[in-house]
Amino acid sequence: MDTVNAEWIKLRTLRSTWWTMGIAVFVALVLTALGAGAVISRWDPGHAPDQAAMGIVVAVYVGVILAQLPLGMLGVMTISGEHASGMIDATHVATPARSRVLLAKAVVLAGAAVVASLLIAVPGYLYGRVVAAEFNPSALPGEAWPVIAGGTLMIVATTLLGLALGALLRNGAAAMAALMAIILLVPFVARMLPGGEWGNYLLPTYPALQLIGQVPAIMPGWVAFTVLGCWAVIPLGIAALAGRR
Amino acid sequence: MIEVNGLTRRFKQTLAVDDLTFVVPSGRITGFLGSNGAGKTTTMRLILGLDRPTAGQATVGGRPYRSLERPLTHVGALLDATAVQGGRRAEQHLRWLAASNGLSARRVGGLLDLVGLSDAAGKRIGGFSLGMKQRLGIAAALLGDPGTLLLDEPVNGLDPEGIRWTRQLLRSLAAEGRTVLVSSHLMSEMALTADHLIVIGRGRLLADAPIAELVRPGTSLEDVFMDLVSEGREEAPERDEGARERRGAVQDMRHSGVRGGHGQR
Ligand SMILES: Nc1ncnc2c1ncn2[C@@H]1O[C@H](COP(=O)(O)OP(=O)(O)OP(=O)(O)O)[C@@H](O)[C@H]1O
Ligand SMILES: [Mg+2]
Repeated sequence: MDTVNAEWIKLRTLRSTWWTMGIAVFVALVLTALGAGAVISRWDPGHAPDQAAMGIVVAVYVGVILAQLPLGMLGVMTISGEHASGMIDATHVATPARSRVLLAKAVVLAGAAVVASLLIAVPGYLYGRVVAAEFNPSALPGEAWPVIAGGTLMIVATTLLGLALGALLRNGAAAMAALMAIILLVPFVARMLPGGEWGNYLLPTYPALQLIGQVPAIMPGWVAFTVLGCWAVIPLGIAALAGRR
Repeated sequence: MIEVNGLTRRFKQTLAVDDLTFVVPSGRITGFLGSNGAGKTTTMRLILGLDRPTAGQATVGGRPYRSLERPLTHVGALLDATAVQGGRRAEQHLRWLAASNGLSARRVGGLLDLVGLSDAAGKRIGGFSLGMKQRLGIAAALLGDPGTLLLDEPVNGLDPEGIRWTRQLLRSLAAEGRTVLVSSHLMSEMALTADHLIVIGRGRLLADAPIAELVRPGTSLEDVFMDLVSEGREEAPERDEGARERRGAVQDMRHSGVRGGHGQR
């Protein structure tokens, strides 16, 4: 608990945290508003209230996806910044259990990611309801929850993956490049290779997009959740083990 | 009390710390002396569990550092005062450190006062001078009111007042019965500050003796140090047994040394 508290103080006392969060939320909100407006304007008048609500939720979580790279960068910087400055030594002198430090950082970052997603999703959702008022959207249909859970898990997973890569590579630029490769580059390159469709199951991007209804469903929902969850947890576990030396 | 036993650390080519054995008792200031690259910082990092020894071990109060609960309440350390993130304010830096060990943030203000940084408490560390960072580092080391202090060149970058202030602080900390290990390569400063000296060269123990015994009248600590270091270099291949005798011999030779001035750098 003390370690989590310390990491929380560290995170919120750096201006870069607020800049990153602020820009991520702002850009995602603007694009969500534009995207939702465009999507809703194309709906035919027969759209049912449940369908309308679902459409809004999906549009909103497409916006949340846009915030994942800045949040991943926050994850990277949280540890690479300490390596670059050398302050990691002070951290380890104060808390010799390195995995505890990493876990505390993960807890605080996961919280930041969830808050960022809500700061995008809640206003985005309310805005969508206003724009789509003529369709009388229902509150939240049952099928919206997997989208919400999937979108939230995705942004948390990317943030924690950033932390893990930062801890493993210790270099901010290298970790950021690796993160972008995993999230953006490899999924698209893999698709062009023979047998590349396995990349859809192994990498985090396809399951995330499937959960928020942006690509055809090729795996059961629980598989998509599991793959994403693994990307949140396994790299961190590897980083914790590597830090034991 | 700090106990170092057969401590060894090898980095690929270099043997940075070579079979070091010494004890740092409480209640006095122990100076840790050695040329650049002698292994002082590496030894302190090993004591603090920041690095794993190739062989041997180090304990603080009988326990390996990494096994201490709330270690800041046992050991205060200042390694590299510039190794802080510049974006934080001084008071914020001390607050996260306090929180990490469950310490009350109430000590923060008083400590910033004590080290003469109360006016800079709300300023970002990035704008601090080296001396101010050293003072902040000393405040951080004292945060948990620890019984043991490990300071790596704490007066580096301090002005004469700061140096005197640090010396008096260390004296009073030792007088309260704490264990104080302070490294330096400023001979004159060590001569004024320390009660006891541990001298290393190329990772090896060259001397472990009270300052009064090392520095006889008519010699300066700088002379003693130079002798010890050149001695250590010449007789590099062998060690252990003869070490103590050799050290005696060096001391005897030194009686004739009449060079006066303290090495001021
Ligand atoms: N991480 C490392 N990797 C490789 N070699 C290292 C590492 N850290 C220290 N060394 C080597 O170990 C030796 C001892 O270095 P150390 O920093 O302990 O010396 P020091 O006594 O603190 O010197 P100074 O007075 O200059 O601070 C040096 O030869 C240094 O090059
Ligand atoms: Mg050093």
